[in-house]
Formats: sequence, C-alpha cells, structure tokens
Amino acid sequence: MTSQTEATPTSGSMARTVRRSLQAPERRAGYGMLTPGLLVIGAVTIFPILYSVWMSLNHISLTENGFAMSFSGLQNYSLVVHSGNFWHSVWFTFYFAVVTVFLELLFGMLIALAINGIDRLKNLSVVVMLIPWSLITVISAQMWGYIYNGVYGVLNYLLQSLHLIGAPITWLGSATSAVIAMMVADIWKTTPFVVIIILAGLQMVPKELYESAYLDGANAWNTFWNVTFPMVRGSIALAGLFRILQAFGMFDLPYVLTQGGPGTATQSLAVLGARVMFQNLDFGPGSAVAVSTVILVLALSLVFLSAFRNLVREGESE
Amino acid sequence: MIEAKWKTIFRYVVLIAFLVVILLPFYWMFITSFKPDFELGAYPPSLFPDHWTFQHYVEAFTKYDFGIYIRNSVVVSLISTFLVLTFASMAGFSVAQLPVRGKTPLLVILLVISMFPSIAVMSPLYMLLRNLNWLNSYQALIIPYTAFNLPFAIWILRNYFLQLPKALLEAARVDGASIFQSFYRIYLPLTTPGMFTAAVFTFVASWTEFFMALTFNQSNTMRTIPVGIALFSGQYTIPYGTIFAGSVVSIVPIIILTIIFRKWIVSGLTSGAVKG
Repeated sequence: MTSQTEATPTSGSMARTVRRSLQAPERRAGYGMLTPGLLVIGAVTIFPILYSVWMSLNHISLTENGFAMSFSGLQNYSLVVHSGNFWHSVWFTFYFAVVTVFLELLFGMLIALAINGIDRLKNLSVVVMLIPWSLITVISAQMWGYIYNGVYGVLNYLLQSLHLIGAPITWLGSATSAVIAMMVADIWKTTPFVVIIILAGLQMVPKELYESAYLDGANAWNTFWNVTFPMVRGSIALAGLFRILQAFGMFDLPYVLTQGGPGTATQSLAVLGARVMFQNLDFGPGSAVAVSTVILVLALSLVFLSAFRNLVREGESE
Repeated sequence: MIEAKWKTIFRYVVLIAFLVVILLPFYWMFITSFKPDFELGAYPPSLFPDHWTFQHYVEAFTKYDFGIYIRNSVVVSLISTFLVLTFASMAGFSVAQLPVRGKTPLLVILLVISMFPSIAVMSPLYMLLRNLNWLNSYQALIIPYTAFNLPFAIWILRNYFLQLPKALLEAARVDGASIFQSFYRIYLPLTTPGMFTAAVFTFVASWTEFFMALTFNQSNTMRTIPVGIALFSGQYTIPYGTIFAGSVVSIVPIIILTIIFRKWIVSGLTSGAVKG
C-alpha cells in the first residue's frame, strides 16, 4: 500500500526499476508469510466466534461422540433475556469493570505523579510492580480468600487490633462486602500495571515544559492540568479502554474467590456462561450468553475504533 | 528546579508505602506456606510462624501432583511461545516490509480479535476438541494459546520491523538473497528486543491462563498450575498450606524472568500495548 508510493530519496531510477520488478514476488512472499499465522487465528478465534453464533441459534444435545443440533431460531436468546440471572450478570460485569478501572486509573495517576522523578530504587520498584501483573490470578484469588476468611482471616485480626470492627466479619458472606472485597483484590493486582504505563507516559513529557511552566509562575495544579495531563491523556484513555474490555471477560477471580456468590452476587457474564455450558451442559443458551457478551464488547470497541484507526495510520507513515 | 525537602520525603513515603502494599499479601502467603497445619486455622493468626515446617512443600509434590502440573505448564507455555514467535515474526515482517494489500483492515481486525473475551470461543472449541478426542491433551491448550497471543505479538513485531529501513531488503535482493532469507538472516536478528517482548508476554499469558485450561484439561494428569491450584481440595478444609507452597514454587521462576526481562516487559506494556 504505502510502499508503492514511497520512494526512498537516495534510490535512483535504477533502483526504482529493480524495485518494480521485485514487487510481485515480494507481494507473493508477503502473503505466504502471513498465511500460517492467519490460518491459526482464523481457525481458533474467528471460526469459533462465528460458530458460537450458529450454536446460539440451535438446540444442542451431547451425544456419545459428538453433539446433535437442531435449528431453533431465537429461542435461546428469548430464554436468556427473560432470565433475571443474565441481566444481573450484565449489570455486575459492567459496574465492576467501570468502577475498578476508574479507581485503578485514579490511584495509578496519583501514585505515578507522586513517585515520578525518584531515581533511586527504580529497578527494584519496577520489578515489584511487575510481580502482580505476572501473578496467576487463581493464586491471587486464593491468597485473598485466605485473607478475607471469616474465621481465621488476617484482615479481621488487623481491623480488630485497630478497633475498627468489633466481631470478625465474614467478608465473602454478604453481597455488598463480597463485591467490595473482590474489587480490592482486582485493584491491588492491576494498579501497579497502570502506574508503570502512566510513569512511562510522564517520562516522555519534555523537562523544558515544566521549566517554562515554573518560570511562568504556574502552581502545581495548573502545571498538571495544562502540561502533564494533555501529554498522558491518550495513553491513559487507551489503557483504560483495554482494561474495561478485558474486565468484561472476567472469569478467574470470581470463579475461585467467591464461585460467583454469595448467591449470584458476583457472577460475571463469563462465569454465568461457563456454568450454563459446562455444568448444566446447556450449550445453546450458554452460547447465547457468550454471543451477547461479545456483542457488548464489540459495541464498546466500535465506539473507539476511529481512535485505533488513527493509531494504525500513524504507525504506517513512520 | 530544586524541590522542597518535604516534597522529596513525601515522594519516598508514597513509593515505599505502595511497594509495601503490593508485597504484604505475598508476605502473608509466603509465611503461611511454612506454618504447620494447626497454625493455619488459628485465630488470632500468628504474624510470623511460631514453628517452621516444609511439610506443605513436600505434600504438594507427594500427596498432590504439583510436579505434574508444573511440567504441563512448562510444556504448554514453552511450545505456545515458540509457535507464536515463529508465526508472528513472519506475519509482522510481511505487514511491515512487504507490499501486501489490506494491511490496515487486517491490523484493526487483529486488534479487535485480541480484545474478545475467551468465553466467545469456548463452546465451539470444546465441541471441536471433544469430537477430535483432544480434551485432556497438550494441543488442546497449545493451539488456542498460540492463536490468542498471535495478534498482540504480530503488532509488537510489526512495530519493530517498521523501524528497519526497506533498503536492507532491496540490497539483499540485489545480492541474490531470497525474501525469506533476507527476513531470516538480516531482519530477524535486528528485532531481538521485540522478540523478547513478544516471548515474555506470550509465556506469561499461557502460564497464567485459567478458563480454557479448566474447561479443556480437567483430568488430574493434564492440569496446568492454575487449574491445579484452583482445584486443590482437602476432605474437610481448604488445604491453604499446600496451595500456598505450590503458589510460591510457581511464582519464583516468573519473578526471576521478570527481573531479567523487565526492560522488555515495560516497553511492551507501554509502546506495544498502548501506543500501537
């Protein structure tokens, strides 16, 4: 695309002729080298997503060595949209994603601003901040489950020692406290990752800008709002979007920490879908839940697609 | 600009408090893994073990099959990483340096795919694997992990290949090298940092993945570490000692990896994931 119009200034007409004769084989080689990767992606992501849609329009029953399908139109969807559990999961997944990502960005920004400019301990801090990022979520869930335990959990002990609570609390036992407990676990794991991203953004702000703001007599708030924030706004917005979309597929944390409970209080869309499919073996309605989740995610990402397009163009004109 | 002293002190206080908050739960997990059974359920809990024991570490490998889980995780993650690097480097090179058509839509589609939640593919993949009799096998995880990590790796490597001059290819072609040879001998060695980034991200993603591993490979001998840790269960109580002993064992190699590759992880997190 771009390479056809782009002539390197140094190459003369000779090189250009050579180049034109090489174009066709280069294009063929290009397709050849793309093929294996795209085949795998197509077979394991695009095809199954489309097949999910088809499955969600069928009655499905497992047979001994396969499964039988019969077309049933929108019946599975009608089942899903008339179920309170589904709407509860949509709402829970949505507000959990929005609240946690908002708080992660807020805390991440505040912490990054506070620690930006510290030169000592840099390597150590980066490694420590990366540990939660590379941590298996299942381990983090077990760890927090033990901390929150109502009988022997250390959280109750700490709060009691500080006289903040009287009797031990079963944190995962009631809906509100379970949701908050899960949010804390999620924020603990992800905020360090946000701090790293924002710190990198802050370090790209030219020092001269701060100096001239300082000379102009700007106070800390003005400097932040007019100098720092505009420079990191883009990366924060994108990081936030990625995180929200990721949070829509949340499965590991609720599955291990609360099993979606108490009741269905923390049942995310993915946990609901997995239950319907792999516990109840209702693959039709389960696929309908999965497809609905994808539609929600797609709707969200389409809203921001224009932003991505600009990014791609930027990259190509480099 | 010289900062007031109290400001500097404030910065250090925030940094150290932040690091402590990150590390405290790990401290708790770490010492819990060394507590004998009767101390695990004690209230008030002992903030430092009264008695130290290796019992849980021994149990994780003898009473439970943690050794097998580690082997499975290593096999699946390493092979997935290798496949992702192979396919993604070719695709990234092709998109960045060769005149293929439709690059922009392709890259946008890859970006959208990489954001799809895995629940979207679970039922068809499960059916497919079941029909092929591939449930509880390495390929049941290697193939999806490869596919799901490819889009990000292609993006990362494309960015690295874009920074290299097209003239390299022209020169190599004039000298009689084939396109694939130019890619393999000239371009690939110049993108080592990108390869590291893509490798670490794929490895960590495969190492930590739970949903598919739980759904496709539930039999005890095919479990990966996350599935093993989630499904550890005792007769009457949750065996937290063993769970945390296993967790500590599986965290240590990843921390070492993080220390070695931190530069490339940070560059992947910032330039790759966000800047595009």
